[in-house]
Amino acid sequence: MIAMNHSRRAAGFAALAAAVLIVGGCAAPESAETDGKVDYTKMSAEELGEYLVMQSGSWDLKQEVQEGGTARERMTQDELQKVCSEARNQPSPEQAGQIIADARASITYPEGGIQLGDWRRGQDLSWGGFGFRIAHNPDDHSRRDPSGNCYNCHAMSPDRVGGTLGPSLTAYGKQRGNNEATRRFVWEMMYNPHAYFPCSNMPRMGAKGLLSHEAMMDIMAYVLHPDSPVNQ
Amino acid sequence: MIRKALLALPVALAFGVTAHADHMQENPVNILLGLIQKVDSPYLTQSEQNIMMMEDNPALWIVEDGKELFYQPRGPNNVSLESCDFGQGPGVLEAAYAKMPRYFEDTGRVMDLEARLVHCMMTIQGFPADDPAVRQRHGNESDHMKLQSYIASYSNGVPWDPPMDHPLEKAMRDAGEYIFFRRAGSLDMSCQTCHSATGQRIRASVLPNSSFQEEWTKAISWPAFRVGHDHVRSSQHRIRGCYWQMRQAGPIPGSDGTIALISYWTDLARGQPAILPDMKR
Repeated sequence: MIAMNHSRRAAGFAALAAAVLIVGGCAAPESAETDGKVDYTKMSAEELGEYLVMQSGSWDLKQEVQEGGTARERMTQDELQKVCSEARNQPSPEQAGQIIADARASITYPEGGIQLGDWRRGQDLSWGGFGFRIAHNPDDHSRRDPSGNCYNCHAMSPDRVGGTLGPSLTAYGKQRGNNEATRRFVWEMMYNPHAYFPCSNMPRMGAKGLLSHEAMMDIMAYVLHPDSPVNQ
Repeated sequence: MIRKALLALPVALAFGVTAHADHMQENPVNILLGLIQKVDSPYLTQSEQNIMMMEDNPALWIVEDGKELFYQPRGPNNVSLESCDFGQGPGVLEAAYAKMPRYFEDTGRVMDLEARLVHCMMTIQGFPADDPAVRQRHGNESDHMKLQSYIASYSNGVPWDPPMDHPLEKAMRDAGEYIFFRRAGSLDMSCQTCHSATGQRIRASVLPNSSFQEEWTKAISWPAFRVGHDHVRSSQHRIRGCYWQMRQAGPIPGSDGTIALISYWTDLARGQPAILPDMKR
């Protein structure tokens, strides 16, 4: 499946190269866009879409990003992003199997075992929306550690408003307890949710290096600890 | 409950736009209330307060400022924008914005309102690209937001109808769809992540569903006064904000990638009335 995907894309770019033709006249005023070399009407939606994102100058790909490198790497799709986009998040059983296997292989565990951290720190990390933003207003990670953005999509403590894109986590620890199996599941879901839900909308907080192990254990404590407001 | 209260409003507001913009037959809030009467949408009804305030939308003053700017001889060539063709002929603003983005023969490009305005400011009025009139795209004080708000107000209540006759218009729309669903960046997100279901929220904010036309028309009705920003904002500003939050690269205004997205999102609202200028949270 993966091999097929690559060859299809290679074919796409070959077609794009073949579609090159010279258009006369001057370029439009503000344009990397009409570079006068590419005929959009000869390209498939995917070819033109990829061209616009990665080659046309429509996005600032040169900007440096917090994890090192540039925005170009951010915009270059990895295998998971590619497959899920193409399948519109409805992977075939075969694709889903591969995604789950890859996700499982990506997960690492803390050296001292999966323990609960500090739920108070986890509360701040769950609430915060800081980190990894770039473009016109980049987040400076030297001033503050990136947070988890959990409340964007999840209801957690009943005294704060959370989003509904993800399931409610209110009273999660109260219902599931705090045993080894639950901690492992929560860790793996945060680290790479595609291990359980292929093409999930949830970010890969661990696998993409968005949160440190310590931060993830703090957030886990916020979700599972009996004293956390989530479980009152 | 909210819906019930809102349905009482149209009677009170039916007398048109207060002291503003004599070209506008109807206050944009009436277009919104018409949609609320038609469908059940948590997005359309999320802020009762905003709907109450919308009759006196500060954006209506920006429309007035734009009117003044539009007819004023400006730039090195000292001419107005009256000869600018937004797709319906030189100086014709009626329903022009609702039929954009569109292909323009003179540039050979599909252009959105902002790109077309830049083109006219530079070619007709002679402004250089780095003149603040052209360069400054955001904020109530920018020429762009004034002019865009004015031009767009002529499409208030007009059904979105971006043409798909030219092959480039179709190509851009289809590429826009591809980009809309293209997951990338630190958070693996695409536009679709937040805009494919009805009634979902990011924190307290209800998200519009791109496949629910009656709510999507409000979502794409820019310029809109954003209450939380205290500024009138554009389509390009919305794209910039979404990409920033998705932790993806910063989109370049006027670029074909952004215009492709706008072509797609406008096509999705086809047939639904535009709310211009709108007010958003």
